[in-house]
Amino acid sequence: MLFEFAVVAGILFGVYYALLGVGLNLVFGVLQVVNLAHGDVVMLGSYLAFEAYYAWHLNPLWAVVIGVVPALVAGGALYAGVGPRLARAADPEMLSLVLFFGISQIIEALATVAFGNNQRSVPASSLGAAPLRILGERYPRDWWVVAGVSAFVLAALFAYLYASPVGRATRAVMSSPRESAAVGIDVRRVSVATFGVGTFLAASAGVLGVFLLGGVNPTEGVSITVTAFAVIVLGGLGNAPGTVLGGLVFGLATELTQTYASTWSGLVPYVLLLVVMLARPKGLLSKSARVA
Amino acid sequence: MSAPEGLRPAGTPATAPAAGGLVIEGLVRRFKGFTALDGVDLELPAGAIVGLVGPNGSGKTTLINVVSGVYAPSGGSVRLDGQEVGGLAPHRLVRLGLNRTFQVPKPFASLTVRENLAVAVGHSGRGAPLRPDILGEVGLEGLGGRLAGTLNASQQKRLDLARALATNPSVLLVDELGAGLATDELGELAHYLRTLADGGITLLVVEHLLGFLEQLTDTVVVLSAGRRIFAGSLRAAIADPEVVLVFLGG
Repeated sequence: MLFEFAVVAGILFGVYYALLGVGLNLVFGVLQVVNLAHGDVVMLGSYLAFEAYYAWHLNPLWAVVIGVVPALVAGGALYAGVGPRLARAADPEMLSLVLFFGISQIIEALATVAFGNNQRSVPASSLGAAPLRILGERYPRDWWVVAGVSAFVLAALFAYLYASPVGRATRAVMSSPRESAAVGIDVRRVSVATFGVGTFLAASAGVLGVFLLGGVNPTEGVSITVTAFAVIVLGGLGNAPGTVLGGLVFGLATELTQTYASTWSGLVPYVLLLVVMLARPKGLLSKSARVA
Repeated sequence: MSAPEGLRPAGTPATAPAAGGLVIEGLVRRFKGFTALDGVDLELPAGAIVGLVGPNGSGKTTLINVVSGVYAPSGGSVRLDGQEVGGLAPHRLVRLGLNRTFQVPKPFASLTVRENLAVAVGHSGRGAPLRPDILGEVGLEGLGGRLAGTLNASQQKRLDLARALATNPSVLLVDELGAGLATDELGELAHYLRTLADGGITLLVVEHLLGFLEQLTDTVVVLSAGRRIFAGSLRAAIADPEVVLVFLGG
């Protein structure tokens, strides 16, 4: 029964990890930059959930909805501001790394001033107290709620990418920015929209992460970015559907290791990452379904 | 472009594209001190076919890139139907009716051939495609459902041409479309491009293959080291000592 428990937990966490990584991957796919401030936006999302619960006395999940417009606007405005400078740079990849690292440090410093250095958390009971019994095993209710909301947000994202004109343009830019411009797509506008969407996805992962990641503190951004990066490398850089597979593999590896060899749980997912990189350098979905 | 799917004459479009006269004057493009284009003049009357030739490094593709908005000009002007368009972004030029093909196409690999064209139709802002059977015309009949990433190089070139035509251009810049084609295929391509011009599309054709150009047009512009060294008939170009010198060496 231990095995079944670990597998189900791995899938639940895996769906969440997919959400944690997909914004980073979407931004990478369109803009070809690694947003090193991704984890810090996740952290801010966690604080939004904290404030929603303690300051505004709301169900913390409302923070996902509350965060939509501010995240879209802030992310879009940020990229609208720095995008033209990046486009003019002789080495835009390197400049973007430095730039987003700087933004990451600024967010971390401001969050420390605003919220202090202490670890904050939101009680799991805010999502319902009673554990859920599935296949004879008892699971914390917040795991299922977080996985359910994550799946919903991911489904909305894929509906956006595959059924909306802006989403189709986004996929086109992920595939070939040069030819996107040659069919009349405003690549800069798509980039701004994508950064806004990526910021919202990160913030919503933060709202949910306050439960699954064990609370929030201002300095956790870097480690979250590393986790998200591992997830998207597993699934394939620039491959949004691959991120779901990457998240599931990462979640299962983490939970199975925690169950059977907890001492090694921080190591095994990254060893797995190295193995996958050696066997399939472009990620698990690199050959059969390399799609945006 | 390989058999079995040959190019076939373009059908008559529902309505002809808007007139597309292109005038380039004193066009300059510098890259950190290196002058790739040095005051190039070039005129394409609406509906004309003009060949652009020159040895490697002469600035042909740079000119296409500047005119199509990939690079901003460092000086000079580009006018489309009398309107200054130099320095506009590529997507804005597409919406004004100026489009191009690429020497090495990179279609939307994760989209089907048909979706590639749908994206072009949907974003060009130039209405429904005037050529309803583009896939058939360029020899991709029956491949509409294939992922573009699975096409071979020749088919990707055909798709690139179809993609550009799906945006209803009035001016089309064609960058070495004939490279790698067999003699009979070059003949088909020349015939197809002529039918496009007959349909009202102005063509600037960058090409190394003078035999191919001869089937297409008698008007050429020759570039060397970023400068225009000749403009006139192809026959006269072949007899021009300076043109002969840059192609064959001194």
